[in-house]
Amino acid sequence: MVLKSSVACLLCAVVLTTAAPLLALAASPAPPPRCDDATFLRRATLDLIGRQPTGNELDEFVASRSASKRTDLVNRLLADPAWATNWSRYFRDVILYRRSDDRAIFMAKPLEAFLTSHLSKPVARWDHIADDMITALGTPAEHGETAIIMAQMGETSDIAAEVSRVFNGIQIQCAQCHDHFTDRWKRNQFHELAAFFPRVKIDRMPGAGPDRFEVVSRDFSRRGRGKKPDNPRRGDLEHTMPDIDDPSKPGTVMQPKFFLTGHTMPLGTPDLERRETVARHITSKENPWFARAIVNRIWTELVGDGFYDGIDDLGPDREPRGADDLDALCTKFVAADHDLKVLFRAVMATPAYQSQVQSRADGSRAIGEASCPQRLRADQLFSQVMLALGIDEEGFAARAAQQRPANKTKPFATPRNVFNHVFGYDPGLPRDEITGSIPQVLMLMNGKHLARGLDGKRRTFLGQLLREEPDDRAVADELHVRTLARHATSAEIAVCIDHVRTTSDRAEAFEDIFWALINSAEFVHRK
Amino acid sequence: MPPLFLPRRDLLRLVPAAGLAACAPPFADAVSLHAADIKKRGKACILLWMAGGPSQFETFSPLDAGHTNAGGTKAIPTAVPGVLFAEHWPQVATVADHLAVIRSMTSKEGSHPRASYLLHTGYLPNPSARHPTLGSIVSSQLAEGANGGTADLPPVVRIGSRGRGDSGAGLLGLQWDPFELRNATKPPDNTVPTVPSDRHLRRLGLMERLGSGFAKSLPQEAADHANLYRRATKMILSPSMTAFDVEAEPEAVRAEYGEGSFASGCLLARRLIEHGVTFVEVASNGWDTHQDNFEKVKELAGEVDQPFAALIRDLHARGMLDDTLVIWMGEFGRTPKINPRGGRDHFPRSFNAVLAGGGVTGGAVIGKTDDAGSEVTDRPVTVPDLFATFCKSMGIDPTIENMAPSGRPIKLVDGGNAVTELFG
Repeated sequence: MVLKSSVACLLCAVVLTTAAPLLALAASPAPPPRCDDATFLRRATLDLIGRQPTGNELDEFVASRSASKRTDLVNRLLADPAWATNWSRYFRDVILYRRSDDRAIFMAKPLEAFLTSHLSKPVARWDHIADDMITALGTPAEHGETAIIMAQMGETSDIAAEVSRVFNGIQIQCAQCHDHFTDRWKRNQFHELAAFFPRVKIDRMPGAGPDRFEVVSRDFSRRGRGKKPDNPRRGDLEHTMPDIDDPSKPGTVMQPKFFLTGHTMPLGTPDLERRETVARHITSKENPWFARAIVNRIWTELVGDGFYDGIDDLGPDREPRGADDLDALCTKFVAADHDLKVLFRAVMATPAYQSQVQSRADGSRAIGEASCPQRLRADQLFSQVMLALGIDEEGFAARAAQQRPANKTKPFATPRNVFNHVFGYDPGLPRDEITGSIPQVLMLMNGKHLARGLDGKRRTFLGQLLREEPDDRAVADELHVRTLARHATSAEIAVCIDHVRTTSDRAEAFEDIFWALINSAEFVHRK
Repeated sequence: MPPLFLPRRDLLRLVPAAGLAACAPPFADAVSLHAADIKKRGKACILLWMAGGPSQFETFSPLDAGHTNAGGTKAIPTAVPGVLFAEHWPQVATVADHLAVIRSMTSKEGSHPRASYLLHTGYLPNPSARHPTLGSIVSSQLAEGANGGTADLPPVVRIGSRGRGDSGAGLLGLQWDPFELRNATKPPDNTVPTVPSDRHLRRLGLMERLGSGFAKSLPQEAADHANLYRRATKMILSPSMTAFDVEAEPEAVRAEYGEGSFASGCLLARRLIEHGVTFVEVASNGWDTHQDNFEKVKELAGEVDQPFAALIRDLHARGMLDDTLVIWMGEFGRTPKINPRGGRDHFPRSFNAVLAGGGVTGGAVIGKTDDAGSEVTDRPVTVPDLFATFCKSMGIDPTIENMAPSGRPIKLVDGGNAVTELFG
């Protein structure tokens, strides 16, 4: 991996002295070739604000002679409210794809709202997001920060596992039943972490829907007998590690202890104090994994390969590629008080991010040194389709709701969510395992809304274009710009003109071309 | 009414049409593969999923009618002397000689989503890995060339499920994800081209030509994409798509299966298996009978009894039963004690499941409970035991491991021993 700066990370140094020799910079003689401006514009616009650039944005960016135009673009897009929306949706998927209870899908909207409120601040502090989520209380509809707790339906061990995965990038839950096979974690360390969360409970009121839940602290035993908050034998007030040989035995009561810093708390400590403490230790600048986890995640999403193989599976027993680049980014991020915008800016300024795309299938590629193609996330693809067809999402959603009043029972069935249901994927999956599916292809090929939007004889974008633009070459080029955010090559224009010539109806010919572009591999990938 | 699917002559006419050059072989093959697919059909599985948790007592584990827990439900004789079913299952009773009833299922999970996940995957939900659902497990092991190979139809089809935590292909990857069908009497979503088929094929040719630049810089990504479009097109233009049209079935056969969406689902399941689909799940919803258990189960059994029996008879008559495992189950059973609202609540401690075909000995009864129906007293069968049994029936090695994203190997089945008594 190639970063300009190679400042060592002092905080990480302790652990890293035991890690592998720092190969990456030595091994790469030259930075990878830069991608062209149109590619960079589409890449950065999709990555940051979740849609393709418009024709005007394309022409303006390519024409600009400013030496800082790539940096300026990134800064402008990071200030766009759509950046917050786009990345809230991403982190929504990070958390909700691991829900243990399907009903928790109702957290999607409040979680997005919570994340957006943080990300749209001038300084988008990841530590504040973590802190709020770990210490969350209240009703799900008003408190999106309860999402991890709701997604795991209040299960103590699962909350601990998710908090560690999302914020430390350490999957200590493998040590839930046995000492970790590949990493150093012992079974009791997992249960000591879980001991920070036994008093988080979900109150369920009668009825249906999200309104009937509330995340609460339960510092007094429900069973009524002697409401002593400090009675360690009260099973539901303290976390117990089950006896693995005899699960019918009561097991061992665990004292809260954070495995990364060794900080402990006495039994009997109230819920909020436990969670505030563990949140403070997780987000502390003394915990290198908090920064590494998010740096590795954002790098993986933006460049395509991470410093670690798993996007959320790090830890002292895994050796990162390009450790000093990772350290440099961590240092910068931590010094900026965990501001995600600073992290995005730093990653997007690297030669790796700005490089020409390299295929994952290319055996000789330099992992992590150049940008890999990514299948668009469902939300990006949906926005891209809407923009290409010139459909206003809100109006579309309103019409869909009107046509199907039965959706009252399914308030989540908006066009975007229906699309996400088919195209969504768990961001925790390795990228080379994310493939398309037949239902996805069928929706793009035959979806009836799409077909209507493509109609060249109606009052659609295409219909209007065909009425106003008599030059077939211009229409063909405009359709390329609209879908792929680049101008057509002369060879592509020739293919289109040939198609128009061999088709009896002009509108029909351009419907076919528009269809072919929306169904193309280029459209569903970000290069 | 207009035909649901493309008429055949349309297909024959369009195949030599223009725009095919680049992707000719698979598209052209689409019309000739039908017979080959049927011939190649190997082992298959149909899951009849009783969503909500069916009462074991009002189904295939009736209590003595004199016991207070029976709530007045009577038992009836079946084709197997000495084996009794609840009175709501007169049709299934006649095919009992093909069925094996496990009356000693036991688990600890009493929450719908978690138990539903457990009975679909063999695992409890855990944020570190999405475990594959049974259909994905089975098809990933058995389906013939489902990934870009010869099969026209998707390897796993799920009919009528309301998708409550039922899980998908998980770590096996999207190509094994269940193809969802909400309604057995309508063609699946987006499978009817919005333009005539010859124009559809011309569009594909155009797509390929316009994509040549992308293919030059990212050949693998382009090839994967083309492969998916080929498979999807092969599917929607395949004569096998008529398998989805239950109305094409002779009236007499449809009458055998009876009325209703579950009946259509069962008939569709048989048609799909016949056309090379490896796994079909058909859901019957509404078994969560906390109130008015007796009336509700009677009604639900009225929807399930006839098609369940017809499916067994039909598969048997067509010589398909030996290679097709049929499973009837839900996520747990219901409490022996009747609650004040005349309902039964969740009861994972003891419940039942029924197996037929796939080499399972017909007429068998495995395990029992005490007279009150509250404790398994003989031959407890856990969920992993049940999954190991499914694997044995279909010749799948349950110890095969897949990698979770965390790099942790996950066995197809989490331990458990097959109920070997079920296999002669």
